[in-house]
Amino acid sequence: MHATGGATDVAGTGGQGPAGRSSRHVGPYALITSLDDPRTRIPVPERRYIARSDDGQHTVLLSLPQLGGDPQRFLAEAEASRYLLGPCAAPATALAAPGEPAWHARPYLPALPLPTALAVHGGPLPEQTVRALGVALAETLAVLHGQGLTFAGVSPAAVLLCADGPRLTCFGAVRAAAPDGTPRSGLPGLEPGSLPPEQASGGRPRPLGDVYALGATLAYAATGHTTPERDELPPSLRTVLSRCLARDPSTRPQLTELIGALSGDGGTRDGATPVPGPGRLPGRVIAALAHQSGAVLTAEIPVASTAPAPPTTR
Amino acid sequence: MPSPLTHDDPQAFGPYRPVARLGSGGMGTVYLARTAGGRTVALKTMHARIASDTAFRTRFRLETDAARVVGERYGAGVVDADPRAETPWFATEYVLGPPLDDAVELCGPLPEQSVRALGAALCGALGQLHASDVVHRDLKPSNVLLTAYGPKIIDFGIARAAGDDRLTRVGVAVGTPAFMSPEQASGQEHSAAGDVFALAGLLVFAATGRPPFGHGQAADLLYRVQYAEPDLTGVPSSLVPLLAQCLDKNPFRRPATDWLAAELHDGSGEFADHLPDAVLADIGRRAAEVWQIMPQRLLAPADEPDMAETVAPARWSRRRLLLTGGTATLAVAAAGTAGVWAWNERGGSGPDRPPAPGPSNRLLPRKRLDSIWQIQVDEDDLFEEVMQPGQLHVVGDMVVTVAPHLIGVTAKTGQRQWASNLMDSDWQVATDGERVLGLGPSDEGASSGKAGGDPLLVTSIDLLTGELNDPQVSLPEFNGELVGDQLVCTANGIAYVVAGRGKFVHSRFTANQTWYLFAVDLSTGKRLWTTPLPARRSGSVRLYFLSAAVVGRDLVALQEANDGTVHAVVRDTRSGAVRWDRPLAGVKASSVQLPLVTDARHLYLGAGELRALRLRDGRTAWESKSSRPGRTYGPPALKNGTLYAIEKGLGMVALDPGSGRVKWEEQGGQGVEADLKAVPVIGTDHAYSRRASKLWAIDLSSHAPTDSYRTTGNRFIAHEKSRTVISMGGNFLAAFPLR
Repeated sequence: MHATGGATDVAGTGGQGPAGRSSRHVGPYALITSLDDPRTRIPVPERRYIARSDDGQHTVLLSLPQLGGDPQRFLAEAEASRYLLGPCAAPATALAAPGEPAWHARPYLPALPLPTALAVHGGPLPEQTVRALGVALAETLAVLHGQGLTFAGVSPAAVLLCADGPRLTCFGAVRAAAPDGTPRSGLPGLEPGSLPPEQASGGRPRPLGDVYALGATLAYAATGHTTPERDELPPSLRTVLSRCLARDPSTRPQLTELIGALSGDGGTRDGATPVPGPGRLPGRVIAALAHQSGAVLTAEIPVASTAPAPPTTR
Repeated sequence: MPSPLTHDDPQAFGPYRPVARLGSGGMGTVYLARTAGGRTVALKTMHARIASDTAFRTRFRLETDAARVVGERYGAGVVDADPRAETPWFATEYVLGPPLDDAVELCGPLPEQSVRALGAALCGALGQLHASDVVHRDLKPSNVLLTAYGPKIIDFGIARAAGDDRLTRVGVAVGTPAFMSPEQASGQEHSAAGDVFALAGLLVFAATGRPPFGHGQAADLLYRVQYAEPDLTGVPSSLVPLLAQCLDKNPFRRPATDWLAAELHDGSGEFADHLPDAVLADIGRRAAEVWQIMPQRLLAPADEPDMAETVAPARWSRRRLLLTGGTATLAVAAAGTAGVWAWNERGGSGPDRPPAPGPSNRLLPRKRLDSIWQIQVDEDDLFEEVMQPGQLHVVGDMVVTVAPHLIGVTAKTGQRQWASNLMDSDWQVATDGERVLGLGPSDEGASSGKAGGDPLLVTSIDLLTGELNDPQVSLPEFNGELVGDQLVCTANGIAYVVAGRGKFVHSRFTANQTWYLFAVDLSTGKRLWTTPLPARRSGSVRLYFLSAAVVGRDLVALQEANDGTVHAVVRDTRSGAVRWDRPLAGVKASSVQLPLVTDARHLYLGAGELRALRLRDGRTAWESKSSRPGRTYGPPALKNGTLYAIEKGLGMVALDPGSGRVKWEEQGGQGVEADLKAVPVIGTDHAYSRRASKLWAIDLSSHAPTDSYRTTGNRFIAHEKSRTVISMGGNFLAAFPLR
């Protein structure tokens, strides 16, 4: 079923037998299913899987670099992501050992990439969901910026919808795609509409680039694409999202301003208007999350005859 | 959230290793469990000690079969099972969604579109079950899980195949009074139309948060289900005619499930589209939460008392076990034990809901109470509404209780000496303080006796082993299978017994049965006298006798008449002849199912006004109505020539039993909260009374409280030999100092 992100399709890979340790095996993990649905045609900077440790006890979201990507820069960003804070941060908890093909992982949580969520819902998300999503992501970016970091990788696919709120993945995807000073337009895995113009031309990612990328991502959630015409956007979001998407970084709003606008209280967070809580998701998105969770609970990986080493953690 | 494994949980069930406990009860435990390949399931087990009986093991296998019949669209898909293992188990998918009762509690009554979609989907589920000739028989909110893709029906503990007599006998009856069909409540055949009735009741609950026949005691509910109109207040008006039709008392006038489904919903959209946000959020939370469960196993507690117990071999017939679940009316009571599963404890913990608060102390932090000792017992609260509560007997050095199996505990240490694996809640036991008698059907010979079933057996129970002693008195003139059979009391080697003749049917008392009270000498097996009893009202849920005791040559008893009044009746122990019979105004049957309080002259009654009746002629010797008008009292206790009772708003009072004159009243003003239900316990220097969740000691010389002990108990008796107050309640048996 489309809604599951493909999880059910491989729920029965247990039948492949112990010979499955090849393309379906990465590091200490056996792959269960791909997280992303290629039918959404939205570029993803990583190859992402739901996978399970060989002892069957730990199910993870596993990320590998795109084919042709630089594994060293991929791992460097993954390493840096381990220290991310914020409500929707998704730090890596395990990384490939030196010399091993690159991967990083974090504990599995039922999650739908934003493009999959739109597909499941049957179109753009309700404005209320978009606002809640925007507030949660903006708050997370604000924490990150306070840590002195730039996310450099916000895009529709980087946003995972979970029952308790979104998760922001693909930390540093822009930096990993090409070093600063190298034009990044058209690189595989980078969704062009959410790549800030100054980063596309090779500039070093800075916080206001995250504001641009967030604006594009929220535009995607509200319309189905990252470069909408102005009048496609819900009227109440037009002004603020258009400002996020300004070519000149200095005219983009600050995150606090964005949070205020999305909360609908003009910037003061203690106003009477309630902030839509995170996790307020449409019924079919919840249904798809539950379906994915159930399918992964049911999935069984081939049991290795010898006890494998535990996942490496640095 | 689920709770950690305990130190004695098994390491594996077949290929499944337990990860955490999802729920636990008297019958078994439900685990979250995982294979080596990481497949995660809900795994339901039956305790090995229960599974040692083939009847229960069969029931377990049948439940697995029924779950397979319903399949994974409308039920929790069965993944694997081993009903032949020492601890039988079966594994199902882990269902992601709240039970309907939790959903309504959490999110309030469901909107009409949710109720309609739910009803239509449940019609589909029932249609599939009925097409396979299975009737659920216990459809209720806690047995329906709301997933994002539709409802799933769980708990087939009492489902049965239509017309399958073997199944009927094993898995029969019970049900939950609030959602029972009238035919089920009256002990008749509950067919597919009965499930439709229950479905409508469930939809009324979903739409309003209230069951259609309200709440209350099982007996009242059974009556209302049969004779009262359902309360549809608050049901959306467009649903009222439809649900009223399903709630017709006549099963033949109720609609079929496919017609009903079409009337309820046009099938548009996905199920999730019709659910309110709060329910969706809960489903999402559950889908995520299961991934946060970490395997954890508790260490054996250092201060755990020695639980070594001898399991008495199965000597009594499994007939009695069949009977346990095999009686529609009484089995209402049994719903909490035999019929309903661990994961529906407290009226329903779904496989993915946290265990009910309170029970199963294995899960509780071992917080220090003020008790001398404390052990876990499994109580069945539903049962108490019908049967005599407080089956807590002092016998020699021991306390014997039914919880729900007969167990013997050393009063001084709390050590469990034995537990009978066959003694179920409807076993009749009585004691004279020295020995314990049991009453049940004989398993000698399958010859259906002339009384309509297996002979009645009366025998004493060995206090060292829990086994049955010889000689065993077998009485083929009476049908030992009848659940109306009652061991009234015993004294001086004589047992006073109620027993019936006639066919066993699912309702307790029927017109074709005849009932007798008799006295039997346990040493010779001879009946000394037998006297017929008037017919009990059909559908009665209480036994003939509420309580009884032998005083000299009198058999003193309280009985409920067919009009609901309570009578005091005194019979001659030598002939059974009634010496006097007196109705007691203002006494409720349910409040006098307690040990009788008598001395040589009087019978003392509380639970309302306090009064003394002369044993000689039944006349009132004194009553509080005249000496202390307007006061209300709990049940009295008698000790050393003083009568004690709790007076509402005041606390403990001590009276002269001869005159009713008050000797003293509790001082200090702290008796306001005193519990009016529990019988006070009297020691040599202190009287004990329950207030809030404490047992208070009131000094008999200063008349003021001196100590209090935290307790979960709500029933207390004195065990004088060990100088302890034994308390029962909240799934614990505990002892406190008796001074």
